[in-house]
Amino acid sequence: MYEAQRSLASPVRNPRMATVIGRLLGIAFLLCFGTGLYSHFLQEPLDWMRFATRPEFLYQVTQGTHIIAGIACFPLLLAKLYIVFPALFAYPPVRGFWNFLERASIALFVGASLVQITIGLLNTYQWYPWPFPFRQVHFALGWVLIGLLVIHIGVKLPIIARYWNKSSAEDDDDDDDDHLVDAVSPNHAENAEAMRLWGTSRTGGVTGRVLDYIDTTPRSASRLSRRGFLTTVGVATTAVVGLTAGQTFTPLNAVNLFGPRKKGVGPQGVPVNRTSEQARVADAAMDPAWALTLAVSGTERAFTRAELLALPQTEVTLPIACVEGWSQMAKWRGVRLRDLTDLMSADPETSFRLISLEERGSFSKTQMGREYVRDPLTLVALELNGETLHLEHGYPARMIAPGRPGVLQTKWLSRIEAIES
Amino acid sequence: MRADANGSGGEAAGVGSPSTGAVGLTGLTPLPPAGIAASTSTRMRRIRLVLVGGGVLMLAWGAFVMFDSVRLTRIPGVALWIGAAILLHDAILAPIVFALGIALRRAGRRVTGTVIAIVQGGIIVGSIMSLIAVPTIVAKNFAPANATVLPLNYALNFGIFWLVLAALTAGLSIWVFLRGRYPAVSIPDDTGR
Repeated sequence: MYEAQRSLASPVRNPRMATVIGRLLGIAFLLCFGTGLYSHFLQEPLDWMRFATRPEFLYQVTQGTHIIAGIACFPLLLAKLYIVFPALFAYPPVRGFWNFLERASIALFVGASLVQITIGLLNTYQWYPWPFPFRQVHFALGWVLIGLLVIHIGVKLPIIARYWNKSSAEDDDDDDDDHLVDAVSPNHAENAEAMRLWGTSRTGGVTGRVLDYIDTTPRSASRLSRRGFLTTVGVATTAVVGLTAGQTFTPLNAVNLFGPRKKGVGPQGVPVNRTSEQARVADAAMDPAWALTLAVSGTERAFTRAELLALPQTEVTLPIACVEGWSQMAKWRGVRLRDLTDLMSADPETSFRLISLEERGSFSKTQMGREYVRDPLTLVALELNGETLHLEHGYPARMIAPGRPGVLQTKWLSRIEAIES
Repeated sequence: MRADANGSGGEAAGVGSPSTGAVGLTGLTPLPPAGIAASTSTRMRRIRLVLVGGGVLMLAWGAFVMFDSVRLTRIPGVALWIGAAILLHDAILAPIVFALGIALRRAGRRVTGTVIAIVQGGIIVGSIMSLIAVPTIVAKNFAPANATVLPLNYALNFGIFWLVLAALTAGLSIWVFLRGRYPAVSIPDDTGR
């Protein structure tokens, strides 16, 4: 095991580098966790929760950040694992109860992190090759990972503190030999000792030959290795983020080579998540007898599309921003939800339930807090980018509100009812 | 295998610092780094206890959420994936990276370290991009849910990416190689004449 560790020694594999990359990875994890939690509670709010409706692109930013930081975790996590890899061969493997717990927690941390970023990425491709539900597992693993991260920071705090600043790290570093393991000159003395003890050279046998082959490989210069390593991690992170973030971040649209969505691609220039076919709503949505029902305090009133078009129309520019990280700015035209609920004399403190024509599907019924209901930008949209709303975008009418995830921008609206306590 | 004679080889992740030896870390009871006052170490110990305790609570909450929201029959699948991820990294990916590093350094005995570093960097950047890009190509073959999901020609983009990366890596390597061979600034040998 010691031999394995020594063979793996590299100028890059030192505590300072672990601290530097670990910090960045920690920040990425915290960003993912915070934005993920925000998105979760937007979709499943607790009763007392109220959310900011401005800036209207808030969710586009938080969820875009969630995906960008998640993608950045690929190079950062692999770099971190590369740095600490020799620790896997610690000898003896377990040095007591606490050490066992620590190593077990790190194993879970590594495995769960890899799974979390992988299923997150594949979810943005709408590809689910695993035997468990995505949403629930991704959410639970988020808590597991942040717990393990905080434990890890607690356990490693003395090292983190010691190697936090470059200068203090360099104090220990003047011999340029600050590896995770000693870089002992392997050959002559040890071979003589091995001959004396066992009558055979250290380089005898298959293992010995392999180790000797590795040992005689020229070492690279320390400073160069570290710079090269950091540059590589930087370039890799820039590449994976830069070539995908265009799906939400307009300035990078031109170099969006690998994003799973492309701005402007879709009916009326807007990408689609759930289609009318998947939702099985085409017949109900195209039915001329369609009407939107509003229900407040036992009173119900149905509005046909013509009646909705006859009410005062408002045009807003709002992004549709998906949990999968893409977003698309668009022009929407329709009736303010506030005007409709006022027509029904609803109490301004009321929250509403939005019901889609879609009968199955986890978002066919959703709730909208009063802060969105009263917002002047929240519309029952009838037109998109100057045309009658496309069936795939929710014809005959859909909800559009500032700062909410796409799954809550209910398409194919059927009924809007007050939630009265 | 030789025993860990000087006690420096067997530290846990990111811990071992043989040239200093001051930061010994055994679970939750560290040796205080030399030269740091005892009060700092007491404070440090308190902060660490709070962090570890809080972390355990969040971990437990995560486990509760998992068992509460995922059907029991699905949980072995999660465990399987986590185990497979560890194996995939520790037993396959990391040894390949290690072998590549050795091979490159041996192959590169005649060129400068900078060139090796550039070539290594190029391979790593390309490999990590492949982790993101290859699934798009595969998933696109499974007929995405609608035409706006995975709408690009990812295979073509992937080819272009590798060509550009290879060209940049080669160009940079050649430039460094030539610069090493023919230094840009040649000092005229006219001193003392």
